[in-house]
Amino acid sequence: MKRQVPLVLCFVFGIVMILTQFSPHSVSQRVYEEVISWILIIGPFALVLATVTLIQTHTARIRRRTEHWQYSFVVFAGLIIMVLIGIFFTPQNSVFEWLYNNVQLPMDATMFSLLAFFIASAAYRAFRARTFEASLLLITALIVMMGNVLVGDFIWNKVLFWTPWEDGASWWRQWILDNPNLSARRGIILGVSLGVISQSIRIILGIERSYLGGGD
Amino acid sequence: MDRRFVFILVALAVIIPMLLSINLPVSVSEPTQQFYDYVEALPAGSTIMIAFDYGPSSLAELNPMAKALLKQCFDRDIRVIAITLIVDAPTLASALIQEVATEKGAVEGEDYVFLGYRPGQVQVMLGMGTDIASVYDTDYNGTAISEIPMMQNITNYDQIDLLVDFASSDTVESWIIYANVRYNQTIAAGVTGVIIAQMFPYLQTGQLVGLLSGILGAAEYENLVGAPAKGMQWINVESFVHLLIVGLVIIGNITYFIHRTREG
Repeated sequence: MKRQVPLVLCFVFGIVMILTQFSPHSVSQRVYEEVISWILIIGPFALVLATVTLIQTHTARIRRRTEHWQYSFVVFAGLIIMVLIGIFFTPQNSVFEWLYNNVQLPMDATMFSLLAFFIASAAYRAFRARTFEASLLLITALIVMMGNVLVGDFIWNKVLFWTPWEDGASWWRQWILDNPNLSARRGIILGVSLGVISQSIRIILGIERSYLGGGD
Repeated sequence: MDRRFVFILVALAVIIPMLLSINLPVSVSEPTQQFYDYVEALPAGSTIMIAFDYGPSSLAELNPMAKALLKQCFDRDIRVIAITLIVDAPTLASALIQEVATEKGAVEGEDYVFLGYRPGQVQVMLGMGTDIASVYDTDYNGTAISEIPMMQNITNYDQIDLLVDFASSDTVESWIIYANVRYNQTIAAGVTGVIIAQMFPYLQTGQLVGLLSGILGAAEYENLVGAPAKGMQWINVESFVHLLIVGLVIIGNITYFIHRTREG
């Protein structure tokens, strides 16, 4: 019963929602709108689940004294302070905005900015023309990188002015994105879409049951 | 070469162009031009929905393009409905909209409204196709949707002339699947440089009517709108960082080939 009810619900709602996509009848559309409003209610529970998981994970880290367990207290402090201010004083509160603008925003931006340093270092160490494929990747990457910034065309027009392309760096960058990149990407999209369709059919028909837990 | 030496070079490649304020000429790419032309062709009184689907980590790339678009909208009397699907974006988006609105004299509730964040990406996208008020019963400040003048004649996507997604993740693809395919909503996007490559199939099919690519797209759009700002400044900085990385890759390969030749 514990497994059959979710399987039946999944089957019924899966089939009904597919049918609503193909039927413009008013009843069909009312069913669709009704179910969408249910989903809107169910959606926020994901946030609750995420918060509970976060608390459980960091509580376990503190209890087990794993490496850097002290930082879990910082997680709890941040969580509690922001949630309490947000709930009782709204996110428009000046303290909430100050914490966001002066703590979260610079920390988040800094973390992402560090990527520039690591990418530069990694590119220097790893980008080697060892094989034909690696050389192809290397040349493509260099063209796209130079085409992505203004100085690329500037250098091209000064150094490679004898080629038939004016603003050649951005021209070749666009050609790479519009042709080999687009073709490969479309293949990936089609592959993923077919995978999603087959997996959805498996779930609706109850063949794939791992979402119920238990691993079968 | 020591890793720390590379880090110092990157830092210098960022700092020096900022201090020298170098300005290289900006040419506009086709996807950016398409984006601009579409917005320009909208008559006054049209409505654009802007989704601020990025957090502070991508602010440097996406804020300049969002700012340029908001300026264009307010200059042309295009009404703006702003939303976000990202939980840490509301404060950021609200501040940006207020800054541009103050500069352009736009009135909240009449020229623009910020609806804030609602959880559940796909659910929000689908829900707004039926009734925006069913998802957002109030705006970010808690004002009931029914009391906001510019929302009086707006029920769902049918009254939205263009949806623009400024994104640092896969939300553009979700907007295309759920708002474009399901509700025929016209969509344009501005995304970070990291995910630009995956957007081109949608541009080719016309599911995106325009596309802004990272800080370069922001600089191009600022150039088109005639409001040079951070995008123009930062693309010059980025130029030198890219140049440095290309230089490092070339040096790395030269040393690699020298080593290989010596080893026989």
